[in-house]
Amino acid sequence: MSKFQPGLAHAPVTPFKRDNAIDYDTYAKLIEFHLKNGADALALPMPEGEDLSLTDPEQRQLIEFAVKQVKGRVPLIAHVSDAGTAIAVDRAKHAEKVGASALVSHPPYFWHPKPSMVVEHIVAVGSAVKLPFFVCTPPVENVGTHLTADMFMQLVDRLENLRGIVDSEMDFVFMEEIMSNRRLRKADYDLISGADYMVPPAAVGGKGAFSSLAAIAPKLVKQVYDLCAKEDFIEARKGQEQLAELRQLVKHPRLETGLKAALRAMGRDCGNPRPPSKPLGEVEHGKVAEAIAGMAFLKAEPRGW
Amino acid sequence: MVLPLKGVMQAPVTPLKDDFSFDGAGFEKMVEFHVRHGAPAIAWPHHKAESLNLTIAERKLGAEIAVKTVAKRVPVSIFLGTLSEEDSVDIARHAEKIGADAVLAISPYVRRPTQEEIFDSVVRLGTATGLPILTYNSPWRNGEGVEFTAELTQRLIERLPNYVGMKDASFHSEKFLEISRVALRMRPGFSIIQGVEHLLSAYPLGACGSFSSSGAIAPNLCNKFYDSLVARDWETARDCQFKISRLWKLFKEQYPSSLKGAMIMMGRPVGPTRSPLPTATKERIDFLKTQLEELGVLQSEPHGW
Repeated sequence: MSKFQPGLAHAPVTPFKRDNAIDYDTYAKLIEFHLKNGADALALPMPEGEDLSLTDPEQRQLIEFAVKQVKGRVPLIAHVSDAGTAIAVDRAKHAEKVGASALVSHPPYFWHPKPSMVVEHIVAVGSAVKLPFFVCTPPVENVGTHLTADMFMQLVDRLENLRGIVDSEMDFVFMEEIMSNRRLRKADYDLISGADYMVPPAAVGGKGAFSSLAAIAPKLVKQVYDLCAKEDFIEARKGQEQLAELRQLVKHPRLETGLKAALRAMGRDCGNPRPPSKPLGEVEHGKVAEAIAGMAFLKAEPRGW
Repeated sequence: MVLPLKGVMQAPVTPLKDDFSFDGAGFEKMVEFHVRHGAPAIAWPHHKAESLNLTIAERKLGAEIAVKTVAKRVPVSIFLGTLSEEDSVDIARHAEKIGADAVLAISPYVRRPTQEEIFDSVVRLGTATGLPILTYNSPWRNGEGVEFTAELTQRLIERLPNYVGMKDASFHSEKFLEISRVALRMRPGFSIIQGVEHLLSAYPLGACGSFSSSGAIAPNLCNKFYDSLVARDWETARDCQFKISRLWKLFKEQYPSSLKGAMIMMGRPVGPTRSPLPTATKERIDFLKTQLEELGVLQSEPHGW
């Protein structure tokens, strides 16, 4: 298999209408926005795209829609994670059938399974497709099981199509182990930044990024990404600190909630998150807008679509 | 007040005689060994020095030996962590009196302190002495431990003119950046020092160095690591980081027994480890020998004093 590398993958939110239905008109605009603003690939629906709040048919439909909208201009990485292995496997096969370019998945939701069970689950999902396959470290509060470096190495041994790990845990020791093992094993998987903290994984030798902040600040994300790709890590620090500041603004109370509030402030209204995530009230929206206006580094970023 | 803290700083172990008594002459040799092999600073007694298993009188005696042996060639910091805060205050005052250059506080860590309790404790220690004070950020995985949040760090910098740095053992991109963004803005030159040598990820973001776990075995490797970071030779830095991480994995098992065992094997007899910690067995030392040989450490690092 030729090596698939995501480069800078944008991870879009999922827009909803007032009645909580997926807003496909806005989704089309959002996808175009990402493609126009530096996305080498799209990864969807990631946790910040509220995959957990979408039904199985909706997730399938969303991926079909995105494939048609993108029309092969960039690779589309479908995120398929679920509690039940068979459900995840089925949806993974569907994603492959309708034209996704790669697949990303994380340990199963809710069950807090033992490491061996997590490995079996991910092996089942990854081996259900021939697509390049990535695992991502999950939002632990939704999953309860850490993906350890040992577990990842078992996956490397068992999944021929495993191309890398998308890291959102941001643990220095974990990242070092992943890359140190790669060297020892002479393997060629990638460590990919998953949470817009791009400098640490790149410093230990990682490559590529999944970014949700690209919806807000695509230029800044691209700038830090490019500096990391050139190994100009010291120069990347300033931009990385700005991304951290933005991330701290949008991560409360939930990432999807803050992202959507910030998107509205940037003139790209994608509606509210679905229940159980509570939308922000008007006062809180005002505070987000004010904070965004106060971030001088966002002046250069595009407003509106 | 800014100390010239940088590089991979060495925290000597505490040599003991066969009857487990403090080996003052051995300690002098230990400190001298580190300084002679390029240690940019000496820090004692960290946990690897069995600090909590030493009496307060032994800790004062050791501090005096360290200051006298180093003789101002590099800065000496004295660790204040004890079970009782009264002892920490006593040790801080003593450190100032004997001419140490800084103190490192973590108190009252066995008590799962609240943020307010940590604040009060550090203020008490930091006003009991005129020495520069560093704190030890040690958030444990389960949310316990002593965590310095960005807010706490900010309050302490505002309150204490002599608060000059932090040993950071969070090993986490987001936590690191939250602290560094605040601290380095408020107090340029604030020293963020990584606990053990997980330095590669944090160095580009403003970490100035690390406290070493493996420097008693591989001082050349430690110095080469830091030099490669300064030279932005990331490939060499990765080689060193991965090797050091593997060493840490070896030593953290029964820390510091394994480390002491390996030192004895390299011709630096530092004696047993005080109970309840075990002393490395002959089998363990033999195992370490094969591992260190495989890592190339036995061949490239100094033997004897």
